[in-house]
Amino acid sequence: MNARLVAPIEDRLIFAMGGGGFTMEPNNPLLDDFVLGLAHAKPGARAKEPRVLFLPTASGDTTAQINAFQARFADRMCSPAHLSLFRLRDAKRPLAEIVLDQDIIYVGGGSMRNLLALWQAHGLDRLLVQAWRAGTVLAGLSAGAMCWFQGGVSRSSGPPEALAGLGLLEGSLTVHTDGEPERLPVWLASVREGILPGGWAVDDGVGLLFRGQLLARVVSSRPGAGGQRVDQVAGELVRHRLEPELLGADRDGALGGFDEDVQELRRVNRLRRGMFGEGR
Amino acid sequence: MERDSSLLDDYVLSLTDAARPRVCFIPTASGDADHYVVRFYRRFSPDCEASHVSLFRRDQGTGGVEDDLATHLLAQDLIYVGGGNVVSMLGAWRAYGLDEILRTAWRKGVVLCGPSAGSLCWFDEALSAFHGAPRSVRGLGLLPYSNCVHYDAEPERRAEYHRFVGDGMREGFAAEDGVALHFRRTRLKHVVSSRPNACAYRVEHTGDGVVETPLKVSYLGAEPAMGDTEEPASEPSAASSPRSRRRTPRRPNVPRATARPAGPAPIPA
Repeated sequence: MNARLVAPIEDRLIFAMGGGGFTMEPNNPLLDDFVLGLAHAKPGARAKEPRVLFLPTASGDTTAQINAFQARFADRMCSPAHLSLFRLRDAKRPLAEIVLDQDIIYVGGGSMRNLLALWQAHGLDRLLVQAWRAGTVLAGLSAGAMCWFQGGVSRSSGPPEALAGLGLLEGSLTVHTDGEPERLPVWLASVREGILPGGWAVDDGVGLLFRGQLLARVVSSRPGAGGQRVDQVAGELVRHRLEPELLGADRDGALGGFDEDVQELRRVNRLRRGMFGEGR
Repeated sequence: MERDSSLLDDYVLSLTDAARPRVCFIPTASGDADHYVVRFYRRFSPDCEASHVSLFRRDQGTGGVEDDLATHLLAQDLIYVGGGNVVSMLGAWRAYGLDEILRTAWRKGVVLCGPSAGSLCWFDEALSAFHGAPRSVRGLGLLPYSNCVHYDAEPERRAEYHRFVGDGMREGFAAEDGVALHFRRTRLKHVVSSRPNACAYRVEHTGDGVVETPLKVSYLGAEPAMGDTEEPASEPSAASSPRSRRRTPRRPNVPRATARPAGPAPIPA
């Protein structure tokens, strides 16, 4: 992917997940395979083995996230790598060269405030905008999903609060609607008061695919997970339900017996979050 | 928090007047690495009221201090900033207003300390060589100098620092591993070391180019330095001892005969 080229607007892809992927669904690769598929579908020699760069910035570059990334992508048709801003010493090339030489950039969850602050400090925000314009697929979950929008709801400082993002996508996003129910009311209030523009609220396991500014697909790794589009019209909230396509449903028995495990995992996660705050 | 020595930690604790100092650790530069936080508590919790502030784990209830950051930090006797990536650290601090809080803490008399990134951050300018070509990084500016750390760790570091100072970086101080620069307000009071032969330097830009002046370093370990009566670091008087050395000829702002022209120079034994 040549960053100096500018991709047509419909080839600028962003995949924003409300939660899910390798850090949250170690036994469910549906969303991550969907992300890889976005690059596989592109023309060019590298489409078969796209370069995937993982940015664990929002977590403080935890080894747990990096290991989970490698565990998920090492054996797939791709060339995975990660970039840690806290261990830049390991990076052999300049940041611009690394970021602008990818097919997919996958951003992990964590603190949205820290994510944006660190990107800004290292000039990564500008490079990511450049990569997006050039046609690199931008993907991420949680903080790594909200960052692409005009704003989101962050728990970086404890209680949920509205926070501005990079603004590549018009509108705002809130995540973990089912897993962390305390976020949604803060987001709805922010939209109603005009602090945040209207936008999307999505459950864990749901991903929104944007082509340019257009929401092209809503997909899900878990039966029952959903989302909504919310806008403020004359001081009132207008809500539309999103109906995600369930990924992997066409595969026979792919989800047989799986649903229960997912439900169990989410129950446990909810309990743990209740006790310790946000889980990954 | 050197693995094999607590000399510098003991020294900085002696700068506080408290019998059981309140010490807060800020590991931002490491990405709030768990092992670093654990190391801090192992070292400081026996003798101090130890706490830490994590900017990455605040949403998970494992962020250490949960109260208002400013109130907590301003109530400390000592704030200990961990090493790591100084650019990441300063960026994250700004997002939380931690830079302003630390400036206030300093004015209030809280002792500020730290190794590596935890040293660079207090200066007006710092030489960061964490990634790629070395670059100048703007710190909090409490100390109106530049700073270069790990001066002995990489052979090209000295030449780079000299080049930057020659090209307009603020004059400042270079410290080898194990050496600590102790400032009171903005003046260098004392240079101490946990390693017998470690050095620190004042690096200045003169008419003749960049000049490096070795500073008098007091080894904090058991063996007294040559011709110098060193108090053990644990003695509370360590903090005031610099007063008795006021007349020592090697003031940091006076280049001595040991000054060298700019360029790589061997590290004195």
